[in-house]
Amino acid sequence: MLSEFDPTTLDALLTPFLGIAYGYALRLLRNGADAEDLLQEAALAAVRGFETFQQGTNFKAWFFQILTNCFYGRHRRHKREGESTEIGDVPELYLFEKTTELGFHGGADPAREVLSRLDGEQIAAALGRLPDEYRVVSTLYFMEDFTYEQIATIVGVPVGTVRSRLHRGRKLLQRELWPIAVEHGIVSRSRA
Amino acid sequence: MTVDRYTCEQVFQRINDFLDRELSAAEMALVRTHLDTCAECTSEYDFEGTVLAELKAKLRRIDLPSSVLDKIENILKQKDR
Repeated sequence: MLSEFDPTTLDALLTPFLGIAYGYALRLLRNGADAEDLLQEAALAAVRGFETFQQGTNFKAWFFQILTNCFYGRHRRHKREGESTEIGDVPELYLFEKTTELGFHGGADPAREVLSRLDGEQIAAALGRLPDEYRVVSTLYFMEDFTYEQIATIVGVPVGTVRSRLHRGRKLLQRELWPIAVEHGIVSRSRA
Repeated sequence: MTVDRYTCEQVFQRINDFLDRELSAAEMALVRTHLDTCAECTSEYDFEGTVLAELKAKLRRIDLPSSVLDKIENILKQKDR
């Protein structure tokens, strides 16, 4: 006789999220082997701590909290200094202003014109240059449809902090993407 | 005093939260009403919305390797031993 499926087990709860969890780990670490290690470390931690999970609450947020904590622990051990971008002042609507200056807005869809030829790896490289506090909340935001409140729970900061980091993270990311677009000929150097 | 309409500046300050549906229902309605009548703000909103959608779509295009799935399944099975 087949055993009855129990939706409250760790296997049943975690398996549907493994794809997005791996995606999040890969975008944070930008290396498949490291992402695999991080996901395994988080799965082990989830096995050990599953009794602390309250059934009926948000399992995905609970697991991403574990995954994020594992990332921070690992990152502290392997952190390489001097790789992140300077924060500085970034104007609002950075790409909008840049594309307006260059006359892109005569076309039907200027945003897509710039972004359509950038691939996920190039965008991940730009995201990876953000300082940690912006990178983690931005990666959570871009990789899964979490609310600000859920991101706040996962990262362990107030909702207002998530809001301000996301707002600034988006601006920083746009500033990082522009030279990549120029470098890859998406925007011609003469126009840029 | 209750605000019954937003200026371009007020919409500009809320555009990220509007895109993320993180405003109250009343604020969402005020931003939407402004966008319905302001071509300049609508142009900025459309641009930012497309940028976010494109970035999300491209970053999310990742397949879970079957080898990773196997390893995680083994970890989950071990808890029952």
